[in-house]
Amino acid sequence: MNLDQNPELEAFRAQVAEFLDTAPTDAIREAGRRTTSAFAPFDQTMEWQRILNDKGWAAPGWPVEYGGTGWSIEQRYVFSEEYARRDLPPLLPNGLKMIGPLIIDKGSEEQKKRYLPGILSGEDYWTQGYSEPGSGSDLASLRCAAVRDGDDYVINGSKIWTTLAHRANRMFMLVRTSTEGRKQAGISFLLLDRTDYPGMEIRPIVNLAGEEEQCEVFFENVRVPQSSRVGEENDGWAISKHLLTYERGANVTAPQMWRRVQRIREAAQAAPSPYGGSLADDPVFQRDLGELAADVASLEHVEKLALSGHPFTRDIAMPSMNKILGTELTQRLTVMMTRIAGVAALPRQLEAMEVGAAAEPLGSEFELTAMPWYLNSRATTIYAGTNEVQRDLIARTLGRR
Amino acid sequence: MDLTFTDEQQALRESLARYLDRTYTFDQRQKLLQSDSPWSADVWRHFAELDLTALPFGEDAGGIGGTAADLVAVGEVLGEYLCVEPYVGTVLLAGRALATATGAAGDRARELLTGIIAGDTHVAFAHEEGRGTPAAAQVALDAVDAADGVRLTGSKGLVIGAAQASAYVVTARVAGVPGSGEGVALVLVEADAPGLSLRNYRTVDGRAAASVEFRDTPGRVLADNATGLVGEIAGTGILGLAAEAVGAMGVLLKITVEYGSTRQQFGVPIGTFQALAHRMANMKMAYLQARATLLYTTALVEAGTAGPTEIAVLKAQVGRLGRTLAESAVQVHGGIGTTDELPVGHYLKRILAVEAMFGDSEHHLRTVGATAGVVAS
Repeated sequence: MNLDQNPELEAFRAQVAEFLDTAPTDAIREAGRRTTSAFAPFDQTMEWQRILNDKGWAAPGWPVEYGGTGWSIEQRYVFSEEYARRDLPPLLPNGLKMIGPLIIDKGSEEQKKRYLPGILSGEDYWTQGYSEPGSGSDLASLRCAAVRDGDDYVINGSKIWTTLAHRANRMFMLVRTSTEGRKQAGISFLLLDRTDYPGMEIRPIVNLAGEEEQCEVFFENVRVPQSSRVGEENDGWAISKHLLTYERGANVTAPQMWRRVQRIREAAQAAPSPYGGSLADDPVFQRDLGELAADVASLEHVEKLALSGHPFTRDIAMPSMNKILGTELTQRLTVMMTRIAGVAALPRQLEAMEVGAAAEPLGSEFELTAMPWYLNSRATTIYAGTNEVQRDLIARTLGRR
Repeated sequence: MDLTFTDEQQALRESLARYLDRTYTFDQRQKLLQSDSPWSADVWRHFAELDLTALPFGEDAGGIGGTAADLVAVGEVLGEYLCVEPYVGTVLLAGRALATATGAAGDRARELLTGIIAGDTHVAFAHEEGRGTPAAAQVALDAVDAADGVRLTGSKGLVIGAAQASAYVVTARVAGVPGSGEGVALVLVEADAPGLSLRNYRTVDGRAAASVEFRDTPGRVLADNATGLVGEIAGTGILGLAAEAVGAMGVLLKITVEYGSTRQQFGVPIGTFQALAHRMANMKMAYLQARATLLYTTALVEAGTAGPTEIAVLKAQVGRLGRTLAESAVQVHGGIGTTDELPVGHYLKRILAVEAMFGDSEHHLRTVGATAGVVAS
């Protein structure tokens, strides 16, 4: 990665800035400011994805032949910086960052043709069916079964933590296709064309913030074609591990975190210190914000080294380390947000949280969103493999580089 | 500009490491620390042969015009072997100050610098006035005008290589009050100057140092209005020290992981216990962050875009993350980790010493936090 000032890159920045200043609607901008988890408000974010896709910018990280931008790593970083600076809603990750890249790497030609355009345009939204009530960290123990019947599979069982399943029209999932041998050796990976197959029932789960983001999905004799399988039967575990590298790694997250640090400072400038004056001038606040900012800086440095392919970050444990560093820092930032908002974070304001809400929020937008951010971020160290499981994975590779 | 070491830098690192593998084993270092020698004269001579003493200086001064990345490439190796030779003090701090001298003492400064580059001369940097003196504007040591220069009265702590130095570069106040950015100067004091008294000691991490007392001691001004210059010199020192600490962190991680996989308790390697496995995973992440910040900050320094905040981030991170890693290393080693006979505790002490110099992590975190999130207009 080249850090030198470069006129071409600055010209690119100006081009990105102009588009991001003019293309999003007011509702999309508001959705960005009301984002309180990795999943931004659905309708406006999908609309924003369609606008970006018309420009050709929905999936900068994809290979060009599948609709990527062909930008250099420096250009991609600049795009992330300008994007974060404007508080725009991050595009929902399931299609663009998870199943899309997986289909590109592991799908059949027919699957690529069939699914990639809809993922890119936002016409299709995919939910992830991995966890089950009895299979969380021990994912390989999953029991939701798919049994061959003619050209079909018949699925029975249930999935949980299927994010936005109630808004999705497609689903990728892991099913048990064999009970022989190791538990990992009897799992297959399926792509479901619909989420309203007969026998399929979706129940939203209300989370700590009072929102319906996660779901439980029940399958009772749900019939899907065997052609929906990715890879070979019983080879789904290896495929899902390939996907986890997308889910956990190689993201650019530091620009959003820097923006969070800015918003924390702005809020602290407006907040009174109990010792008099502004909280932003309080030495304890400054020291604590300094610790967060220093850790955001180090995360930025790690991400930039990784993007550059630096030998130091060519490490089998990088996805796990990235996941832990990013999620634990996110949690600490949201703790700081609730500390600054103080009692103003306590009113439960579900209606005012809605984009375009008629209800006027009590207090500032920062105070409105601080507690939902905090509460939603509790899940970050649990999903995509708990941070304890990630530490196990790091420890297992400690002897080798 | 690139974030990776060049082939030349890599070759220099390997050459230095090969030499230290032969001459600076842990046992050889322990013997050195028990002797009366402040450091190894042979090793210092070899540093000069490798041009390490010429590294940061321009070719017009007889140096080889090395970059920040060159210093970091070398500094990491010095930390890996826990070298006690005063590389930061003589070359990066005092040497850098002498190289920028413009004042009345310019000729003498050039003479001393030539000696440093040749490996024959040591000059000590006397700056410390408590808690690392990270802000040059806080320097208080009193300098009053005299016929042939200035006279210094006051004391400086942690003057590394003081007893062996031919001269001292001293930060002093010629005008104004502590806290004022105006009136700080760099003063050259000869080692045989009157009114100079030393109290020598070895630091916990093995360096030869002294508390130095100045009583109406004559000196010559190397640079006036030097607050910014002292900040720059300290920044270079911080880069060198941070590289040493990160080098030490890398070794600590490696030997701790090895120990965890060989030491058996309850019939199994202790590294198989989850509590210790997670502790070591945290150590690895601390090393990842600290080294990434070191390499990135080095690239910024080289590009001329590292400001005081970036240097403060580096100092804070290396101190905090280094302490976390090193204290965990002692804990994983258990009882044996608390003894003098294993390298573990020695690496901990090097990291702690680096943390204390030029302002501790708390100071630098507050510096970072005072401006973090201010939106550039």
